[in-house]
Amino acid sequence: MIEFKVETRDDGIGVVTPQGRLNMVAARRLKEVLGGLVGDGTSRIVVDMAETTFLDSSGLGALIGGLKSARQAGGDLRVARPTESVLNVFRLTNLDRVLRPRDSVESAFDE
Amino acid sequence: MSDQDPREPDAGPAADIASMEGRLELSAPADPETMELVHALLESLWVAHPDVLDVDRFRFETAVIEILANIVEHAYQLEPVDGERSPRRFEIGVAANADCLVATLGDNGLPMALDLSDVAMPEDDLAESGRGLALAVAALDDLHYERVGGRNQWTLLCRRAASA
Repeated sequence: MIEFKVETRDDGIGVVTPQGRLNMVAARRLKEVLGGLVGDGTSRIVVDMAETTFLDSSGLGALIGGLKSARQAGGDLRVARPTESVLNVFRLTNLDRVLRPRDSVESAFDE
Repeated sequence: MSDQDPREPDAGPAADIASMEGRLELSAPADPETMELVHALLESLWVAHPDVLDVDRFRFETAVIEILANIVEHAYQLEPVDGERSPRRFEIGVAANADCLVATLGDNGLPMALDLSDVAMPEDDLAESGRGLALAVAALDDLHYERVGGRNQWTLLCRRAASA
């Protein structure tokens, strides 16, 4: 099963860390977590994927849903430190351009 | 076409998996929670075949889970029968040999109306759904679907990359 670590940094950026497999079951929870952050006024979100061991198309859908709602609220969603397994799915779906992975959580919003 | 004996071997990998040594099988309800059982089944396959490269594990697991998700979602779309959903189950078999990874998935859901040669990623990069089958097709070397004996039968083939 998957766990989500959620923290809001002093600079107002929300960091969500899915730990485990981000599949159909987990995607619903991720969507809720991301929607909750944006709803509470945190529209700049980093999803740290260093501990995400598996990602499927529903997990991708949750990330894109989060990206859209963050942008609508004037912010953005950025993905950091994807595992090789996650990166593989980004490439196969050509979403590595939309969800351009960042090397670190700390610098994900530097540019 | 559809009334042939489901056990009758047909051409291609579907026939091969039955003869592959050490294949692993599971039969379970087609619900989302079953995903974890299938991940565990694949972990057992990797333990039995430690020489399978990560790149092949990723592709194969991605495709298996996408097809299973398709089966689960499809099963949930069924209209209630006599006020209740009829129990939907699926069977999965996975196997590996020196050349390839093979999975077969069968379910008793409604027939799928699809043309696998016409599956593509959504044109809208920001679409939140519609990538599952396209992802499975992209991850595999061959994906085959047929309706056999009133059941949906999927066969997935991933040719293993040459090890370094």
